[in-house]
Parts: sequence; C-alpha cells; structure tokens
Amino acid sequence: MNDAPLLQVEGIAKSFGTVVALRSASLEVASGEIHALLGANGAGKSTLVKIMSGVHRPDAGTVKVHGETHYVRDPRVAAEAGLGTVFQDPALIPDLTVHENLRLTDIDADDVRGWLEQMELGDVDFEAQIRDLPLPTLRLIDLARVLARKPSMLMLDEITAALTADQAEQVFAVMEQWKERGNSVLIITHRLGEVMRMCDRATVLRDGRDVEVCVPRDVGESGLVQAMLGEAVEAIPDTTTALERLSEAPVALEVVDLRSTDQVHGVSFTLRAGEVLGVAALEDQGQERLFELLSGDRRPDQGQIILADGVPLDARSPFDAVSKGVVLVPSDRLQALLPKRPIRENLTTPLYNRLRKWFGLAADERERVENAVDRLSIDTRAGNQAGRLSGGNQQKVVVGRWLASGFRVLLCFDPTRGIDVGTKQQIYELLRELADDGAAVLLYTSELAEIPLVCDRVVVMYSGELVDEMPASDASEQALLSAAHGISEGAA
Amino acid sequence: MTTERLGVAGDFDWRTALRRYGWTTGVWLLLIALLAFYASTLPSFGSFQIASIAKNSLPLVYLAIAQAIIVIAGGIDLAVGSMLILSNAVAAQLMDGQSLGVSLLVAVLVIAMGAVLNGSVGWIIWVSKVPDIVVTLATLFIIAGLALLVLPSPGGGTSDMFRAIFTGSTTGIGTNFWPALVMMFLPMLVVAHWLKHSQNGLSLYATGSDPTAAYLSGVSTMKAKIVSYALGGAFAALGGLASLAITGSGESRFATASNFTLRSVAAIVLGGVALTGGIGSVVGAAAAGIVLFILSPVLSSLGVDPNTAQVIQGSLIVVVMMVAGIIELRRERAE
Repeated sequence: MNDAPLLQVEGIAKSFGTVVALRSASLEVASGEIHALLGANGAGKSTLVKIMSGVHRPDAGTVKVHGETHYVRDPRVAAEAGLGTVFQDPALIPDLTVHENLRLTDIDADDVRGWLEQMELGDVDFEAQIRDLPLPTLRLIDLARVLARKPSMLMLDEITAALTADQAEQVFAVMEQWKERGNSVLIITHRLGEVMRMCDRATVLRDGRDVEVCVPRDVGESGLVQAMLGEAVEAIPDTTTALERLSEAPVALEVVDLRSTDQVHGVSFTLRAGEVLGVAALEDQGQERLFELLSGDRRPDQGQIILADGVPLDARSPFDAVSKGVVLVPSDRLQALLPKRPIRENLTTPLYNRLRKWFGLAADERERVENAVDRLSIDTRAGNQAGRLSGGNQQKVVVGRWLASGFRVLLCFDPTRGIDVGTKQQIYELLRELADDGAAVLLYTSELAEIPLVCDRVVVMYSGELVDEMPASDASEQALLSAAHGISEGAA
Repeated sequence: MTTERLGVAGDFDWRTALRRYGWTTGVWLLLIALLAFYASTLPSFGSFQIASIAKNSLPLVYLAIAQAIIVIAGGIDLAVGSMLILSNAVAAQLMDGQSLGVSLLVAVLVIAMGAVLNGSVGWIIWVSKVPDIVVTLATLFIIAGLALLVLPSPGGGTSDMFRAIFTGSTTGIGTNFWPALVMMFLPMLVVAHWLKHSQNGLSLYATGSDPTAAYLSGVSTMKAKIVSYALGGAFAALGGLASLAITGSGESRFATASNFTLRSVAAIVLGGVALTGGIGSVVGAAAAGIVLFILSPVLSSLGVDPNTAQVIQGSLIVVVMMVAGIIELRRERAE
C-alpha cells in the first residue's frame, strides 16, 4: 500500500444534454474514515456517486483508487476496483428470488446471511421473490450483498431514507465496523443528525462543484447548512399577502389524516381559495405520494380529502379528480402533454371529456383556448408540435390547458424543474395571478429559495409527516432547509 | 400475513408457491385434461396416437421455447418462423441422399447457423437501439427470403435414420413414441435448468425483468441480449430439423414462417411468459405449444368445424389471460 488516499476524485464534469449536473467536482476520502457527501437538491451528489460506480461516464476528470487511475466504464469495473455502491433504488431484480439475485452476481449466500444476521434480518427467506419484500428489507439485502464483495470503499446513497430508526442504527453499526477494518465509507444523506454523529469529514457540493471540506463536529449543523446554501441569503421580498384576509376565504381543499403505506403518515392541512400553499421537502419525503393521492392517481389507505362545501374528493382516477376541479401540473411536462400534437390541440385535451361536444369544440371553448394562449404569452410560432417548445413554454401549455377547462384546486409538483430563470418568473407570476383570481394552489418545489417568492404559507414535509408550518415571510431558505432536515423537531 | 410481508423463512407459503409455479402447473394440467378428453373420444387411443402427437408438436414446442427464451430476456423475435423454414431448407438440401453421420454433421451446422445468425440479430438490436419488434419484422422477411433462395420448390430429403431420431421410425410413422418424447423433454429441461440455475441463465431473466437493476448489479445486458437471441435461433433451427424429419423432405413457404411465428407468440402468452420480460418459464411455454397443437384434433373430434375451431383457439388465449389478470388484481387488492 502507498500513502495515496483511498479514493481521489478530481475535476469531474458531467452534462446530460443541456443540463449541467457536475461542473468540476473533487473529492478525497482517506482510508478508515466515514465521509459525508452533502449538498442541496440538484447539487450533483447522486451524479458523482454514479460516476464513481461506473453508471455514468464523466465528461472530464479522473477517479483514482489508492493513487491508481481507474477508468470506471461500467459497474463491474467499479466493483473490481473495490468501489461498492448501494444505490438509491435497490439494484435487485424484482422477478427473481433473493437467492437467484445472489447467484446472478456470483456472491456467496452465507456471507450475505452473515451480514443480514448482524442487521437482525437473519430470518429473511432467500427463496422469496424480491417484489414481495418490503423496501427497507431490500435496501439492507442490497447493502449485505455489496459488503459480501468486501469493497475497500463503501458508498451509500440515501440508505437511511427508507429505514426505520432501529434499522438505521444497525446500518450505523455496520458502517463503524467497516471503518474499523481499515475501509472507508462515503454516505449521502439529507439527515444532518446522522452526519454529525457518524462522519469524520464532509465534502459539500453546490451547483456541481465542491465548495467545502470540513469536519462536521467543528462546524455544526448550521455550518453545514450554510455551506450547502452558499452566500448568505438576502432579505425575503415582501409578499404583501395578508394571511388574515385568507383566513376568511372559503376552504378549497381540506386534508385530514391522510395515510399511504410507507410514504405518507397522517398528513393534515387546509388550503383556502386564493391561497398558494407551499410544500417544502427534501427528496423522497413522501411529497410525491401526497400529490398522487390528491390528484386521484392513487387511493389513500386512510384519511379524507375534502373539497369546497364539504364534498369529498373520493377519486378513483385522475379523471374523477379533474372533473371535480382538482388538476395536476407535474414536473415532467412530457408526461402531461401530447408532445407530437399541436399546441392548440394540447390546450383542448381536457375539453374532450365533455361528451356532449362530439363534433369539435363549441365557439366559447375556442375562445377559452385563445384566451389561454394570450394570457400565458406562449410562443406559438414553432407550434405544430408541443414537444418542440422549450421546457418553460411546455409547462405553460400544461397550465394553460387547465385554464381553458377551468379548475378550483391546482396541484403543482415541482413545475419549474429544469426551467430557465425568466420563464420561472413568468410561471410564478401566473400562479400568483391565478390565486388572486380565487384559485387554490398547492405548490411543491425543490428550489426552496423560491417558496417565499410565490407562496402565502409553507408546510414542511419530512419522513411522510408535516413537521412544520410557517407564513411565507418567515420562510427563509435557511429556515426551510433546517426544518426540512428535521432539525427543528430534533429528529436524528 | 405479517410473516409473508416480511418474507420470513420457515413455514411453506402455498400462495407464493402457487404464484411462482401456478401457471406452469396449470398449463400442464390443461394439457393432461385435453389429452385425457381426446383419448376418451377416440375408439382406440394408444402408442400410435401418443407418438403422433409427440412428434408432430415438436416444431411448435421448439419455437415456443425459442420465443420464450428471447421474451424472458426482454425481447421478441418475429423471425423464429423464418429461421425454422431456413434451417429446414438448408438441411433438406444438404442431407438429401446422405448417411446418418453426414446428416448429423449437417444438423450441428444448421443449429450453429441459427445461433450465429440470430445472435447477430440480437447484437444489431443492442447496438442500434431499434426496438426488437421492428428489427425482427425485417429479419422475418430477410430470412424467409433466404430460405426460398435455398429451396425454391419443395424437395430435398434426409437420411431415414435421421428421421427416426425425432419420430421414432425411419418412415416417420410408427408407434415408438420414446424418441419424440426424449427430443421434446431433454432440450426443454436442460435449457430450463440452465436459465434458472446458472449465472448466465439468470442474467437473461434479470435483463428482461429490470435492465437498469441488472446493469447496476454488474450484469452485461449486451451479452444477455445476444445470448438470448442466439439460443432462440438454435431452438428455431432445431424446429426446422424436426419438421424435416417428420415430412422427410423440405419446403419453404412464407405462410409457414409467419404462421409459426404467430403461434410461437400465442404459445408463450398461454404458457405464462410475460411479454414485458423477466417472468415465465420455457416449461410452461412448451406445454402451451402442445396444447395449441392438439386443440385442433380435439375440436375436430368433437365435430367442430375448422373455422369455428380457430375462433375457439383465439378465445382460449383471451380467456386465460383475463382469468390470470383477475387473479392478479384480486391478489393486489388483498395486499
């Protein structure tokens, strides 16, 4: 062995099409340390791990293990170089049994059994099919499988996100043990409590660059948050929305103790007409499921969704929700649009549901479409295929078609993902305008800094529960990020 | 319920077992029931009928296995029928008037040809990223065209002993059903075991089930694609050899190719192979191949006219799929 650090990653850059995920990221992990890779959503953490694991090939930069450069061109090469990764989604084949999955990767079942026993999962049936096992069990099986390969560098991408507190403890014990054997562990996590407790050092990524390497115990949680955010946040613009006025407004959507397996644990909130309610959360805290439940894509296990005048939503499909005036703007615009059809046709799709109009659109509807186009200032020149529009314009079409058909509650799930700043502004203005006209808007956005710009009130979701609520004027990015990490609740 | 959810080892869970092996078992039971019924309608049912069914269903059984392997690995091959008539044509030309030894050599070459040709189709699909169904629609015509070039009009032949390997008799007609049964079960069981128990075989299931997870686990998805097509090509070629042994001479007809392809897809669907990949077994697909084959004699023995019989065959597939869908739905609701 030489003195070179166990893992040395330098100047990694990676773009996906026009989206730059990593600009120039470097990372150094010494032997026998537990290292955290931190950063806000979209900072490039997962991309960096995927490059080190051979899933993506970098546009530039090098990966050195024990000072030796490795061209990690696929996951097998990474495994041979001693880099073992537990990915966010378990890399287990759903249609095969546990045993078959191990044979597939040529891994000794006894080794895996040993690790599982240590994590108090010794009774897992190896003949069970992966698709029948619960997610936390799968993550631990995946971890045990990676450990059985004896990687000198163990990389864990959000492993505790799906685990119970007990199971997380087991994983921490395994991490300690792996470190004591002279190996290293790299973890990505949103739970800063874990970082403070477990990690010797942390590297913070921001906008695709490494901006700070620090010892978590020295800088504290607030120091980590500060590093993730960058320069101090400027004062929140005055949104001048009177919450008092809103408290008089009629209720547009009331959610009572909503539950859905493993994802949403008893969420309750009220949304009034004319209000934009923000949902702040880190990735995978159950917000996606919450929106699925509200938009009728999935039925809740428990709890009620009540609309204006006490009408229950009770939707069996998005069609039911739409006909009751609850509509969704998803983050993936192409999921909502007919990309190969013209803009105007896309704007009218919701109107097709009105069966009495068998032969085209009535005059008033044509008018509505024209109004929507005008109001959104959609650039219709390149308009014979919606798929050719820019991302921002596509998202405007998605909002626009609901404008044309009419709605009462607008659910927006990260509507500005990957959209340029100017168009973002227009979309936020549009949401604000819709609310001022009496619509109720529920907005989840992964960009916390933007919440105060458009919302009246914010709820914070963490591990499937709403842990905090604040008026938008108090919702600085720092306050939101702290709450979203579960810090204000003292959760680990 | 809780033990099942946690996947705890110990007590045998009949529901899980039923779900894993239920379909395959069900198809074999359906086959046995049909055979029993068929036997009861005939004045005499003996080794002659068994031999006849066993040998005559061989080509479709081989094609069902070929299609099952490819679909399990996440593809679909519309050209298996063409590969059958191509290998039939090539073998008929080369084996005509030759000894058993030469015929066997030719047989090995023809199977290798099927594997190499179809393996390269798999490679083309992987490299070009063009959907399987498009590429193999093209190769359906290309390979059938080659077969017609090799054997423009019916003819050629094979050695009598070669016929006996598949049919149990040098004339292709007889009461010895053992060779046909061995030729049916041996390759089927060997490939089924390989698929489920070897690392390479499992990589086919893995690639069809979840290509991303397979790639992340370190499986070479390119190799899986090529191997599945090559193996499918080999089985399709075996089907061509079987049909040569049954009739004693070769024939290239495009209608035969397309017909066989469609019936191979019907067989795997009935046999419990999911068209989305990763689920099913060659054993179930093979049984379904025999079921589809004997359905017409069974129906005609009932006095159903051939046109109605076609309607019934098609309806059987739909009904089976619907029943399976309802069972699956109920299971999901129950969970």
